[in-house]
Amino acid sequence: MAKHETPLLDELEKGPWPSFVTDLKQQAATKPECWDILGQLELSYRDRITHWKHGGIVGVFGYGGGIVGRYSDVPKQFPGVEHFHTVRIAQPSGLYYSTENLRALMNLWEKYGSGVTNFHGSTGDMIFLGTRTENLEPLFWDLTHDLKQDLGGSGSNLRTPACCLGESRCEWACYDAQEVCNSLTQRYQDEIHRPAFPYKFKFKFSACPNDCVAAIARSDFAVIGTWKDNIRIDQAAVKKYIACDAEYPANGGAHKGKDWGKFDIEKEVVALCPTQCMWMEGGELKIDDTECTRCMHCINVMPRALRPGAQKGASICIGAKAPILDGAQFATLVIPFIEVNKENDFEDVVDVIEKVWDWWMEVGKNRERVGETMQRIGLPTFLKVMEVEALPQHVKEPRSNPYVFWAEEEVPGGWERDVVEFRKRHAA
Amino acid sequence: MALSKDELKLAIIEKAKKSPKPQLYIKDFYECDPDSKPREVKNVANELVRDGELMFWSSGSTTMYARPDRIQDEEK
Ligand code: HEM
Ligand code: HEM
Ligand code: SF4
Ligand code: SF4
Repeated sequence: MAKHETPLLDELEKGPWPSFVTDLKQQAATKPECWDILGQLELSYRDRITHWKHGGIVGVFGYGGGIVGRYSDVPKQFPGVEHFHTVRIAQPSGLYYSTENLRALMNLWEKYGSGVTNFHGSTGDMIFLGTRTENLEPLFWDLTHDLKQDLGGSGSNLRTPACCLGESRCEWACYDAQEVCNSLTQRYQDEIHRPAFPYKFKFKFSACPNDCVAAIARSDFAVIGTWKDNIRIDQAAVKKYIACDAEYPANGGAHKGKDWGKFDIEKEVVALCPTQCMWMEGGELKIDDTECTRCMHCINVMPRALRPGAQKGASICIGAKAPILDGAQFATLVIPFIEVNKENDFEDVVDVIEKVWDWWMEVGKNRERVGETMQRIGLPTFLKVMEVEALPQHVKEPRSNPYVFWAEEEVPGGWERDVVEFRKRHAA
Repeated sequence: MALSKDELKLAIIEKAKKSPKPQLYIKDFYECDPDSKPREVKNVANELVRDGELMFWSSGSTTMYARPDRIQDEEK
């Protein structure tokens, strides 16, 4: 495979930032098909149209997901990318790798593919970019037999569940994100490996509202840790922060090394609380926890003084998506608090998941994410399906929709009324 | 009354053969038996893939089903 002239792509090598063009040129030294990626992309830049065909029937036996077929529509010009399939490999919970495992994965991919990877795709998987159809089964065999690893989800499947590192390292974790992620991955093997839904469906688990896996923006089903009771305050530590004790750096020391001036609790914490539910009183920090939205700001700034409460669980937000049919949207809060309990195999969470699936499989249109179905049908109906009472927390903003429909059984006395009686009080 | 599994299989194959669209979404098969739950239809369709009666076609973001002789094969 010959080098191609790539004047447009070469522009992307200028400047101080890393460049995928440079990376691909480097990789082309051992994997010459990389020249054809660059050549085809240069052609696309000139033609202003993609030269990848979309999709195909590739897969491995018994699986209906995990491999995404990609073919060039100019294979004569660029034979190295005639086939250039993507393989999704399920990532370990919390992205813990041993170097041994990473080396084994890279050796596998040097053997069967282009060596080009993406760690990690938006779904969470490791993405191996570029191989031919005939390499898929041998790659899958070695992956599952030698490395004991599995493919992730793609297409209309449940996608590889993803989680933050949670309790393994993080004191803010309100539930064991890795455990529930792994447990549901095992439970829903069929849904991950074979298509089940009108479109894709993603779970993501963040163990606190900092939401390190961006579950609220990137998943159809976001489980985000929270607490029911009050933020735990150590007033002695609050005083240390105020006194600028070196052992108590603001933001856990994350902003060290620059002169930000003296820590100012009023300006940096109290005034930035989004619900204005904090104040100082007699040298002590006070919080009206009934107004706290669990934004984590104060806890992030003063981690030695403030901790999440002790009654821990999660909120479930449903329906985030990227812009395909219409605009991008965040997930909507549906379940404000739920127990995430290993003892009962997370049955409360499983219950919610299966209610959503049963409804969406029935009502969702082809290629409609559950968030779009919710929008089309309306939150009041969705809450009924979920058997959840409407709460103030479900209201995104007041008075944005005047069309609130009451069912007859929701109105005292129903639709019948005594007009004569009414007119005695209220003249026409 | 919902169709038996074998009846549902036959109805799905029939639809995949006759439908004007060669490739179908899972929801298109729901009509084969309005009394079967979506999940049962999905399970039976996926079993037909294992039986070799249907094949998956995937764009990467969505998946469709087709008879092997009607599927769009980029390698042909
Ligand atoms: C002292 C007299 C009145 C006061 C202080 C008053 C005040 C208000 C206020 C605060 C609103 C809500 C505005 C909003 O946030 O959208 C409102 C809405 C409304 N008012 Fe009045 N109003 C008065 C008299 C009237 C009268 C005499 C009529 C009609 C005969 C009327 C008809 C309406 C209607 C139709 C709405 C809209 C209701 C809705 O959006 O659902 N108002 N008024
Ligand atoms: C052919 C006649 C009429 C037409 C086509 C018409 C049309 C509309 C439309 C399109 C809206 C906006 C609805 C929305 O999206 O919020 C509206 C609101 C409204 N109209 Fe009319 N209207 C007519 C006659 C009347 C009359 C005669 C009255 C009062 C005597 C009236 C009172 C109102 C009020 C109070 C609202 C506000 C409702 C709310 O904010 O909830 N309209 N109308
Ligand atoms: S989401 Fe919260 S619990 Fe999870 S790693 Fe981030 S800060 Fe820690
Ligand atoms: S977590 Fe956020 S909303 Fe709650 S008290 Fe702290 S700053 Fe305010």
